[in-house]
Amino acid sequence: MHVTNKEKICNQQSPAEGCACSGQAPGAAPADNVSSRRNFLKSAGMLSVNSLLGTAALMTMSDDARANMDWAEWFQGNYRLMSDEEKALARARLERRYSREYGKAVTVDGTPAQEGVLMGYALNIKKCIGCRRCAKACVEENNQSRGKDQEIEWIRVLKMEKGEFSKEKMNQGYPEGLGIQVGGNAYSPAGVVLEGEHYYQPEAVPEKGSVYMPIACMQCEKPPCVKVCPVRTTYREADGPVVIDYNWCIGCRMCMSACPYWARRFNWSDPKLPKEAMNPVTHYLGNRPRMKGVVEKCTFCIQRTRKGRYPACVEVCPVGARKFGNLLDPNSEVSRIIERKQVFRLKAELNTYPKFFYFMD
Amino acid sequence: MKKYAFLPAVLLLWCVSLSSARAEPVKCFESRKGASEVTQRMIGENLPNVKCSPKTGAVLWWGDPLDGTVPMGDMPVADADYNRGKAVVKPRTDKVGLLPLCGNTCHTGVLPSGFPQNKDTRQLVMMHQAIVLDATKLPHGRGSIWCLDCHHSTKRNKLVDHRDNPISFDQPQLLCGKCHGEVYRDWREGIHGKRIGEWASTGTKRWFVCTECHNPHNVQHGERNRGIAQHQPENAPALPKGMKTADHERRQHGAAKH
Repeated sequence: MHVTNKEKICNQQSPAEGCACSGQAPGAAPADNVSSRRNFLKSAGMLSVNSLLGTAALMTMSDDARANMDWAEWFQGNYRLMSDEEKALARARLERRYSREYGKAVTVDGTPAQEGVLMGYALNIKKCIGCRRCAKACVEENNQSRGKDQEIEWIRVLKMEKGEFSKEKMNQGYPEGLGIQVGGNAYSPAGVVLEGEHYYQPEAVPEKGSVYMPIACMQCEKPPCVKVCPVRTTYREADGPVVIDYNWCIGCRMCMSACPYWARRFNWSDPKLPKEAMNPVTHYLGNRPRMKGVVEKCTFCIQRTRKGRYPACVEVCPVGARKFGNLLDPNSEVSRIIERKQVFRLKAELNTYPKFFYFMD
Repeated sequence: MKKYAFLPAVLLLWCVSLSSARAEPVKCFESRKGASEVTQRMIGENLPNVKCSPKTGAVLWWGDPLDGTVPMGDMPVADADYNRGKAVVKPRTDKVGLLPLCGNTCHTGVLPSGFPQNKDTRQLVMMHQAIVLDATKLPHGRGSIWCLDCHHSTKRNKLVDHRDNPISFDQPQLLCGKCHGEVYRDWREGIHGKRIGEWASTGTKRWFVCTECHNPHNVQHGERNRGIAQHQPENAPALPKGMKTADHERRQHGAAKH
């Protein structure tokens, strides 16, 4: 192809230098073709807003909880830092979404901590028969995921052997045959130790020679889970319970590894909550349905206790081993128990100061 | 064609079975089997009175904890919880509705002639063996008490206290407290036993009375010597994904070799 000298020169020169090679006068370009930074940002912004709106419109057709979240819910702040109006708006948004998803009128309560109340719990370790009704009642109340794919229970009931010291075990030690004698009765359980069975399934409970130890969130006064949360989505409320703003949770599970009581559960997949079984009376910080990738745990049934009602596990216990009340009220059941009975707190040496007390008659 | 002929019949049968299953009211027990039972029904929009365990038939959740209750009545203790708040109980007297009849026939205190009125231990003849097999060896009290220590000799729809005053079946604690004073004290403070409703010490609570949890004729439950009968447990939690059995936690203490 033949290229003239003039063309060569034009290609090397800038138009501003007055070359008329393209047949267009310098500086004569139409105004809308001017690519200024402002125009570029404007059009790019419009494009992204349009495409996101389109995606949002498509997503709202889905049954998926995440897809049903509206814009404001995606971008809302940490619940604790919201103003009262923002909190009310956030709850109203959730009420709309849950009502749509579960096909019934769902309420999301936001009752704040009551003054003069410090919620406390006591459990009679001698009375517990290990029937697990508390764990199941908790699921009915608190909208946990259920079914084969993902089953979440906030209460775990451990079965443990009753401890004993006996003459027959005086020569038993471990390991045998190696010349190391740990001592008589070594490895024979004595008293309640944190070593037990989760999956016991006998015909009837309590079994002979067994004791049962239910464990859930201890609602610590100095909670290690709160210390480690990098986004401060879990925090202690003024009336005691440690709560989680599920919308602000990033799912890092630091709190789970920090908790010495194995109290926290993680939604590895989308929670399976049947519509008919869903409890429509919820609290923002309590039993409202959770989403995939967030941590959850016992809140002392905050949706009930803030309204004056006993937690679900307290009501269901067939032997009356579970007690709940106001630690600041000297006439409450829990205060009376602490005053009169032998009480211990689980792993008290960790200085977590649980508000969950185990007691014995 | 022949093999499809039975299909409508099967469908019809299925529909019939489904409708009959729906019509059947679900009955659950509250604390122990044989004591207070409750029939499932709706008490509001999306609000059942109770939710029951599909496995054991036990009530797991109360929609209204005060449903079907009546005031407990006066308690002769000035400083007890039930005087601060409002105490209600589920009436049990209707469960013993036949008792007025009994009081008119066998237990009038007059008839039949020669019917002993004292509390001496003696064998029951012809009646009540379904409740107490051998009245001379009543499990409750290990033979040291007899029927008329608790049941009123003439007013058969009442229990009896130490001074022969009748006690309502709704307030068995007044009777049980005669011997089990320490437990009675704990119970009325809310430490022993079960209450549902409002947790505040001034709140309205439904109190579960002694016999709703304990079987009064066999409290020790045989050789187990515990106040509570054995229950069928609810299902174990699901195993973690990938775990086939829970054998790892079933080993005996000290049996493992590292």
